[in-house]
Amino acid sequence: MTGSQLSQAIIKAFLQGGEGFLEGTVAALLPLLWLITLALHLARPYMVRTTQKFSLRLGADIWWLLYVGIRDLVLAVVAIMSFMYLYPDVVVADALPIGGSLAAAAIFGVMLVKLVADADDDPRAFKLVSTLLGVGSALYLVPTLLGVQLSSAVWGPGWASIAKALTTNTDPGLAVALSWIAVAAIAVMGLIALWYDLRVPVQRVRRERASAGLKPDGQGG
Amino acid sequence: MTPDVVTRAISQAILQGGMQWVVSTIAAFMPGLWALTVIFHLARPYILRTVRKLTLRFGADVWWLGYVLVRDGVMLITFALSTIFLFPNLLITIPLPLTAPLAAVLLFASLYVKLLYDADEDFQAYRVSTLLLAVGAALYLVPQIFAIEATSQGWLAGVANFLTSTSNTAWVGPIDALSLVGYLAIGGLIYLQVAITGRRFGRKRDQVSEAATIAS
Repeated sequence: MTGSQLSQAIIKAFLQGGEGFLEGTVAALLPLLWLITLALHLARPYMVRTTQKFSLRLGADIWWLLYVGIRDLVLAVVAIMSFMYLYPDVVVADALPIGGSLAAAAIFGVMLVKLVADADDDPRAFKLVSTLLGVGSALYLVPTLLGVQLSSAVWGPGWASIAKALTTNTDPGLAVALSWIAVAAIAVMGLIALWYDLRVPVQRVRRERASAGLKPDGQGG
Repeated sequence: MTPDVVTRAISQAILQGGMQWVVSTIAAFMPGLWALTVIFHLARPYILRTVRKLTLRFGADVWWLGYVLVRDGVMLITFALSTIFLFPNLLITIPLPLTAPLAAVLLFASLYVKLLYDADEDFQAYRVSTLLLAVGAALYLVPQIFAIEATSQGWLAGVANFLTSTSNTAWVGPIDALSLVGYLAIGGLIYLQVAITGRRFGRKRDQVSEAATIAS
């Protein structure tokens, strides 16, 4: 082996190892982030109840905007981290939950519903968001628990074959097909969001702000 | 192999590997940053709807300034990191999306519109900046998904070879040159309008904001 070959081997190991570490870390964080997303979304009745207990409107506003801000930021982070499920090379190479790509499509669906409808005030939109989040987290967490984390066949050979079917690198054909479906779904949702944004005139939005009835701070409380 | 050769090999590996790792990490973060930029930009109607629900101007202002700060901060970071796609040597040595430099130019153009026109109030400016962002994101994400991250898909080999910078070096030069001209043109326009003619110097308004004026 020459010095140059040794350098190339070390560089390759460095890059492949780094990439694998990054993808593994994201995959390990996502189940937790999915749970936090779901928990924050379902915490709405508690948050609304707490808002009503504040004696000052300032406290209530801060509480509500912190809740909405954290809830939506975690949602956006999950969507961005789920992006790796749209890459066929990644799903073929790594042991990931097979429903990850569809879960990514579901979370983009949640963001689209929140954009075009008022999920904080309209119960139908809230139900749709809850359904999409529930389906998305099930699509992510079930294959994680019964596929990726069960590959050592602790419950017998029957479960081992189920685990194989629920893990991307042991069922690459289905994993890649689901990835393409998710890519198509996200592309369509992106186009709908773009169309929706471009057709909402700023004048109307300005009127909405004007009619918001925002009161000077001195009148709060 | 002597100890000197091994030392040189390892130090070369650390230097080259480190450089490639930094570039690859930036390239790996870029799809996420592009998606986040588009998501924050398109979230404007939702954010305004939430502003309406806050009962005090203080809360509404904190929410709105938080949104604008994060949205524009992410956009600026995406733009700054996109600068690496203007380096031709990186494009021909590391597999990157072929149209990434053009995506960077469109992002710069969108920033130009936001800088010199009021995209938050003027609907035409908002439309133009949104379309520039959407086309820029497509120019980055399509090659990323269908070429860079799809090498395992044999049926996509032709598309992947065409859209990957290292396997289509003939197109790297012209695209890079076009992008550099775009950068210079937009940068020059900004400099001209802000620093030389002074027409876009900007004047600080006396009143706090339109919403505040209406509310009071």
